[in-house]
Amino acid sequence: MSAGLQAVTQSCLAGLFVAATLCLYRIIVGPRAADRAVAFDTFSAVVVGMICLLCILWDSTLYFDAVWILTLVGFLGTAAIAKYLARGRVF
Amino acid sequence: MADTIQVAREMVVGAAMTSGTFFMVVTAIGLLRFPDVYCRMHAAGKAGTIGIALLILAPTVHFAAAEPFVAVRGILAIVFQCLTTPGATYLLAHACYVRAYPTHRRTEIDELEYWMPVYRDDEFGHE
Repeated sequence: MSAGLQAVTQSCLAGLFVAATLCLYRIIVGPRAADRAVAFDTFSAVVVGMICLLCILWDSTLYFDAVWILTLVGFLGTAAIAKYLARGRVF
Repeated sequence: MADTIQVAREMVVGAAMTSGTFFMVVTAIGLLRFPDVYCRMHAAGKAGTIGIALLILAPTVHFAAAEPFVAVRGILAIVFQCLTTPGATYLLAHACYVRAYPTHRRTEIDELEYWMPVYRDDEFGHE
């Protein structure tokens, strides 16, 4: 991996940290439950992006499975929260 | 020749991760600054989907030559993400509308008003 790609990866990681911080702020102050659910969905997407960039930075595919597993788990969590908000129960 | 392919691959990877990071930062700024929950879902549902697809595309292209199965898993992850993020956003928006979450004070029309039942807080016993 060239030095230029390494620098680009590190600066993209810094940008994703900023995005994660903004999502955390919305999770903490979000006025109602749905705001927090939306922010958590975006936060899990940002974490998936960080895992992708760390795979490139460390030149290892060891953690790449976590990407699609986190995708599915994040969807299940958000769908369960939505069902709970709409009906008062999940199932 | 091999050098040219390497340089081209690194350019594609760098462009994908840069634009993906741009879209994720835009999503986070939208979450921070939009006034009500429906506007925030508008930011998270569209820009978030394209941002995470581009971010997963970067390692998929980077490892495609060395380990082909990683590329298959990356494409699967992109398809999953493009299917599930709008679906989850739709479910949450439906839940918010049914539970009569407040809109911003400058909202002018509500086209679903006559078509969808809205349950106020006293009909269900929570929140």
